[in-house]
Amino acid sequence: MSAGIALVVDDSRVNRLVLAKQLETLGLDVLEAENGLDALERLRAHPTEIDVVLLDVLMPELDGYETLAAMKQDDVIRHIPVIVVSAVEELASVVRCIELGATDYLTKPIEPRILRARINASLGAKRLHDLEQEYLARQTELNATIQRQKSELSRFLSPQISALISSAEGEALLSGHRRQITAVFCDLRGFTTFAEQAEPEELFGVLGAYHRLIGEAIIEHEGTLEHFAGDGVMTFFNDPVQQPDHVERAVRMALAVRDRFQPLSVEWGKRGYDLGLGVGIAVGYATLGRIGFEGRYDYGAIGNVVIMASRLSSSAATNQILLTQRAYAMVEGLVEVEEVGELTLKGMTRPVPAHNVLALTAV
Amino acid sequence: MPEPDPRIVDSGVLDELAASVGGDTGFVAELIGTYLDDAPVHLADIAAAGQSGDAAALVRPAHTLKSSSATVGAMQLSGRARSLEMAGRSGEIGGQQTAGDLEAIGQDFAAAEAELRAWLEDHAG
Repeated sequence: MSAGIALVVDDSRVNRLVLAKQLETLGLDVLEAENGLDALERLRAHPTEIDVVLLDVLMPELDGYETLAAMKQDDVIRHIPVIVVSAVEELASVVRCIELGATDYLTKPIEPRILRARINASLGAKRLHDLEQEYLARQTELNATIQRQKSELSRFLSPQISALISSAEGEALLSGHRRQITAVFCDLRGFTTFAEQAEPEELFGVLGAYHRLIGEAIIEHEGTLEHFAGDGVMTFFNDPVQQPDHVERAVRMALAVRDRFQPLSVEWGKRGYDLGLGVGIAVGYATLGRIGFEGRYDYGAIGNVVIMASRLSSSAATNQILLTQRAYAMVEGLVEVEEVGELTLKGMTRPVPAHNVLALTAV
Repeated sequence: MPEPDPRIVDSGVLDELAASVGGDTGFVAELIGTYLDDAPVHLADIAAAGQSGDAAALVRPAHTLKSSSATVGAMQLSGRARSLEMAGRSGEIGGQQTAGDLEAIGQDFAAAEAELRAWLEDHAG
């Protein structure tokens, strides 16, 4: 393997031959240039391959000083180490070259051990520079990947949760806490039958439109989507972002969903699918935080309030938005409701009084 | 054959040169060949600059000949070339010293060439 590539710049063929041969003896590959212009051309053609330049000072066309100055003004090649090669009596010109940015110097006749030491030092510096560049490039790539993954991830998560992931208090919230929430559960009447009969494309088309509609409403009202399960969509309010008006937001969202669902339902009806929307809303304390296992966590809510919303939704007739007594009490002046009496819900020991939201109270 | 004169060609320089390229005397022979091909060009440039009294034009060929002659151990010639280079740099090449150097440099080269060719014969094959 080559120890590196050196560019020998000298107008004297004899000097080039000697230096090239000595460098080859040290294990380097050598390119040659007979003046500064020629050297710049080669450097610009191989900016990443050339590891070190051995530069004569007195040359036609473009001398060593001009070559160095041009190199230092070129961002692509300025980092390549330059060793000035000169006669002992020309030390003044060496000083000028060092001031212009040369890395080191060699005097003629070239002593092989000194050449080796100078070359190794320059190659070391160049390797360090290359490593640094490589590291920076990887870092940039990594950052881009993280950004891409973050934005990709945020498509899977509710905006509140994805914001939480990158916030300082997020970790504390993720580890579990108890809070009052409003849970909203939406699902479709007639979905099971539809799912059995429809073609997969049709099924996904309908589900997609329905999820899109609900998704938009969730985002508008700043709810936290907990999960989708087929036609069942569980959303809650007041966590992780606290919302004093969480019940009202839940009701407004449910009404928006119901309104927008109408045209879809009519459309599907024409195609022979009888699908209706049912919504359940409950208020209560839940335990919230990271649920799942390494590799697949969800931000979830656990508690009776969630079950209650889900059961109410199952009991709701088409287009009903059922509120628990407590939820209703918290938005009483804002909505018009009809009593639906006490419902006997699966898993609940006592009958539950419920209210169906008709509309927002006209102001 | 005349006895080699180390003031004309220092064979120690050639030995060191060979050692610095891994003992490759074939390379040194090749290098001497190149030197002998190129030197007359520099000598002609030097002569032209001397004739026209162009001090600036004297510097580069003298410099190059100084350096390449030193590389092959032609020390006397290298010293002469150095003297001319300095004169060129000073801008003053009308003096006696320079006239003498310009006069003598051709003979210096002829002497160096003879010794270098002898070295080549000694190291042929």
